[in-house]
Amino acid sequence: MRVALRAPTYLGLGLVHAWRWSFGLLSRGSCKYHPTCSQYALDALDEYGLVRGSILAGWRLLRCNPWSRGGVDYAHDQRLFR
Amino acid sequence: MLHALILASPLTPLEDLLRDVLKWLGPHGTIGLTWAWSIVALTIIVRLLLVPLTVRQIHSMQNLQRHAPQMKEIQKKYKADKKRQQEELMKFYRENNINPASSCLPLLAQFPVFIALYLVLKHFPHEPGDNLEWLGLWNITDKASAGWGPVLVAVYALSQLASSYFMSATAEKSQRIMLLILPIVFIPFIINFKVGLVLYWMTTNLWTVGQGLITRRLMPRPAAPEKRSSRTPPKEVATAAVATEPAPAPAKPSQPRRVKRKKRARR
Repeated sequence: MRVALRAPTYLGLGLVHAWRWSFGLLSRGSCKYHPTCSQYALDALDEYGLVRGSILAGWRLLRCNPWSRGGVDYAHDQRLFR
Repeated sequence: MLHALILASPLTPLEDLLRDVLKWLGPHGTIGLTWAWSIVALTIIVRLLLVPLTVRQIHSMQNLQRHAPQMKEIQKKYKADKKRQQEELMKFYRENNINPASSCLPLLAQFPVFIALYLVLKHFPHEPGDNLEWLGLWNITDKASAGWGPVLVAVYALSQLASSYFMSATAEKSQRIMLLILPIVFIPFIINFKVGLVLYWMTTNLWTVGQGLITRRLMPRPAAPEKRSSRTPPKEVATAAVATEPAPAPAKPSQPRRVKRKKRARR
């Protein structure tokens, strides 16, 4: 039952893993944050589910741009959702 | 197939834009290039738009190289704990106002462009009788596995290798090896793409290589002089001491020092 409820989350996790094992391999080590954006996405999806996790991951990707400072930023420490 | 379905609708505006630019460049448009050359031109336009971003990345890369010795020390210090190492490095970036060279968004931004172009080329806006050849060897609507296609794929793989070489200037050794192996791993997939898409990919890689060559020539790596300067002081002091005081006494303590250094280097 719990597994069935988490099915959408698994879809999201699967997509991130698919990215990691395809084009992500070419861009390894290019994230300015710790953990990397893909790891952040996995953590966020795992902890907050597909919808909120995706929003968090998307927001993180937008922050990972040439004008931001980077740094240590865990999904668990997010302040978007309470 | 699934990802194409999911991404198809949000990408439609981008797809339309790319198609319009391609038509404008193409044989029936204002510029009047052949379709193959208009793909090349489109790629160059996309890359030109990204130049300000690249300049920024180069600046931060130089900044990064200037601090390389200190960063290496941090990496050594937390060798056992990779997580702690990363966190300390990030802290160091923040303290020294360093902006790490790359970031995810520009990389990811190229991905939708690529997929949109894939979709554009799938239903190519050509009319019957249009010239679809490039250099008389390749037809852009053919699969890359047909005819001379594999030659183009080989050129693509080489261009990918070369551009990876420039991209990985600061990457770790294991990552660099990965970057060099991947283009070869990708070949079986790429050979099933259309020639037009391979042409886009090849052009963008060659642009990266050109950019790398130019930036290397214009801005010699600051890392090399840094390294030298961190090593030379003891020698300079020693030679200066020898030069100013001809007495052999001050030169003596510098000799055991050197021996110690060598031992440290071996470890």
